[in-house]
Amino acid sequence: MFKITSLIILATFLGLSSCSKDPINDLSTEESLVYITNRDTQADYKKYKTFSVVDSVTIIENNRSGSALTELDKDVLTRIISNMKDLGYVQVTPSQKPDIGINVAWITNSQVNVTTMPSYWGGFGYGYGFGYPSYYQYYETSESYWHVSMVDFLAPNTVDKTYKVVWDAQIRGSGIGSRDFVSTMIDSIYAQSGYLKK
Amino acid sequence: MKKIIFAALLVILAYTAQAQDAPRLYTLPSPFERYTHYLATVRMSGAAPVGSFSNTYIDKSSVRNFSISLEWVLRNSPISIGGELGSSYFQKRLPRALYQSGEETLSAVQTRTFTQNPLQVFVNYHFLNKSSVVQPYAQLSGGISIADYSLYYGSLVEQKQKVAPAYGIGLGSKFLFRKDGSFGADVRVKYEGTSFKYGYIEKGTSSVNGSVGLFYRWW
Repeated sequence: MFKITSLIILATFLGLSSCSKDPINDLSTEESLVYITNRDTQADYKKYKTFSVVDSVTIIENNRSGSALTELDKDVLTRIISNMKDLGYVQVTPSQKPDIGINVAWITNSQVNVTTMPSYWGGFGYGYGFGYPSYYQYYETSESYWHVSMVDFLAPNTVDKTYKVVWDAQIRGSGIGSRDFVSTMIDSIYAQSGYLKK
Repeated sequence: MKKIIFAALLVILAYTAQAQDAPRLYTLPSPFERYTHYLATVRMSGAAPVGSFSNTYIDKSSVRNFSISLEWVLRNSPISIGGELGSSYFQKRLPRALYQSGEETLSAVQTRTFTQNPLQVFVNYHFLNKSSVVQPYAQLSGGISIADYSLYYGSLVEQKQKVAPAYGIGLGSKFLFRKDGSFGADVRVKYEGTSFKYGYIEKGTSSVNGSVGLFYRWW
């Protein structure tokens, strides 16, 4: 009798336990988006006047990389350009030696630290990579996310052969692959980085 | 649906027990007074966070809590001892906000959750005897809580799971549906705490729970 009762109690408990629900299944796509920005505390953004943006998006997936320019990618690049202009920066071509360069990457299942410099910036010093201040923080997950980085071309580190990343942004969450959210996503990362304004 | 089936089952069991109750031929004390007997209780409860747990993490009350307990009601003693396994869940959603960590700025909708499954032993002190229809009691409990702290930034989660010491103190009363019967209701108000500390929870968790339950006793 005691054993049977114990089993009934256990079964009841397990039955009730199974009622638990996913706490974020009621989040809207917009609500699921997370914007993370980091800045270089040493950077003086006032000294940067001109910028240039890569002509395509770097795709990094499990340490393999390539580039792409889909309609979504074009929307992202265009929105970045308009935000930079709104902040007071002047867009120039790479041949006009911009003060800062902006890279855009779509990263899947990989860490940012393995990112290599897109060949697009080859003219600025062959073999240069990214130089991240050590206090930049990253979340390690296996999802895809957008990564936007701003590198300083005015003061390359000739010893380490790196261009310092003076600002970067990650955009995560569901909906990052949808053109409907491009404006919201890109505007948000700039809106929370008021120090970039000229 | 499960709750309805469970309630129906209890009602059927209650009728069955009543039907089997033969006319009383002797005037002996109730077997529940003569023997050490078992008592099982299922409780549903509402819980309100209190103290620093409420101030720093979640201040929203929860109704998604339940527990089961099994106790041994000792013969010739106002004491019963037992074990209780519970489950409680707290959740709070915060609108989109900026969170600063060093030079990092994070913008997200935060969903704060705290789940715990306390497993505790308890001692009840009963103020009236076991044949009384109303049986008020005081309770002291202690044990462990398997706790899960999940803090969602949008769809990203920061999670910490650990086993923390848990304790509680409560006042309640049992109400027998029928004198000397096997079934009854249980009402209890209990303060429960754990020493779980992580992230926003700096000084452990604490809550006041009000529960309503049904019990069955047998020997």
